[in-house]
Amino acid sequence: MDNFVWESTVFTMIAFLALLWLLSKYAFGPLMGIMEQRKKLVQEQMSTAEESRKQAGEHLEAQKKALEQARKEAYEIIESAKVTSSKQADDIMNAAKAEANRLKDEAVKDIDSEKNKAIAALRSQVGGMSVMIASKIIEKQIDEKSQEQLVDQYLKEVGNK
Amino acid sequence: MHIFPVIEIAGFHIDLSTWISVIVSCLIVFIVARVAVSNLSVHNPSKMQNFMEWVIEFVHDTVASTMPLSKAKHFINLGITLIMFIFISNLLGLPFGVVTEHHEPLEIAGSMVVTEADITKYDGHAHIAWWKSPTADLSVTAGLAIIVIFLVHFLGVTKNTKHYLKHYFEPFPIFFPLNIMKEISKPLTLSLRLYANIFAGEVLISTILMLGWVGIPLMAVWQGFSIFVGGIQAFLFTILTMVYISQATVHDEDH
Repeated sequence: MDNFVWESTVFTMIAFLALLWLLSKYAFGPLMGIMEQRKKLVQEQMSTAEESRKQAGEHLEAQKKALEQARKEAYEIIESAKVTSSKQADDIMNAAKAEANRLKDEAVKDIDSEKNKAIAALRSQVGGMSVMIASKIIEKQIDEKSQEQLVDQYLKEVGNK
Repeated sequence: MHIFPVIEIAGFHIDLSTWISVIVSCLIVFIVARVAVSNLSVHNPSKMQNFMEWVIEFVHDTVASTMPLSKAKHFINLGITLIMFIFISNLLGLPFGVVTEHHEPLEIAGSMVVTEADITKYDGHAHIAWWKSPTADLSVTAGLAIIVIFLVHFLGVTKNTKHYLKHYFEPFPIFFPLNIMKEISKPLTLSLRLYANIFAGEVLISTILMLGWVGIPLMAVWQGFSIFVGGIQAFLFTILTMVYISQATVHDEDH
């Protein structure tokens, strides 16, 4: 071991420690800083992803609810439209029926009154004519009044039959 | 064998080849590390950055995967610096050597590098090796081991005092001398293992060189194997350091 030089040992130690200091200051320090930063970044991104996943779930839930709501409303609208339309149809039918009844009644009334008028006219004419016939046949002086009484009596008998 | 150029300045012996290679090794490590982290990005890391991050993760897992990155930072710095410095140091001596041949005594900066005795010892032509792996020098690996062992004991005393003092007397007080031997053998094995592997590799390289052109295929094989050995030794040194550190810092109550 004649080539062991303790000065070399000391020099190596100094050089190595200097290298260690330089490397940790200018090479590995920054590199480890970057690694720490990346670790932080990954954690941050993971939590952000979790957050957005949660938010997406919430949104989906909200949309489902909204869709359900809309469907319900549409169903209600259709139902109410159905009810209204059937009611309207009923109304129209009722109105038409009432109108028809009214028209029929009026027609019946008209017919009645016309009939009565015609009867009355006929009665008076028949009265006059029978007077004339009677005066011609009987040629007697039965006054018109008793004559009329007679005819009425006859007519009543006829009408009752 | 080669002579190493040791000069004497103010009473200190300075092994030029060791100093040069340590400085070059440090420079290369620093430049590589700087290039690797030149374009740092959180979102879009470059290939080099990915590689460096993988190294950090690897060392982190080794020293204390339960420690958060901010706490284990210093140990990781130490681990990466160790593995890079040792690996590059191991490779430095492989690609080429700078050897000068001298037939006369050589004097540099007032100190005799090649003496008359050396020349007669090596049959008239002494070789000076100016270039080698710094880790092929026991004084360099000893320096690294001293740093590591000092750190380990320092951490044990400050962070884990009770357990540190107790472990010398476990499992029974009679084991105290054995535990002391274990602690002493730690730096010895650390430094000697690294030194011996790399030095043996370089010795074999210079031996193969003596074969001339016949040794070319052998040289190629051995160079490749030396790269492998260099990687393994760097890895081993770092792993052992990290294991020692985690032993010293991790507080295990149930023992």
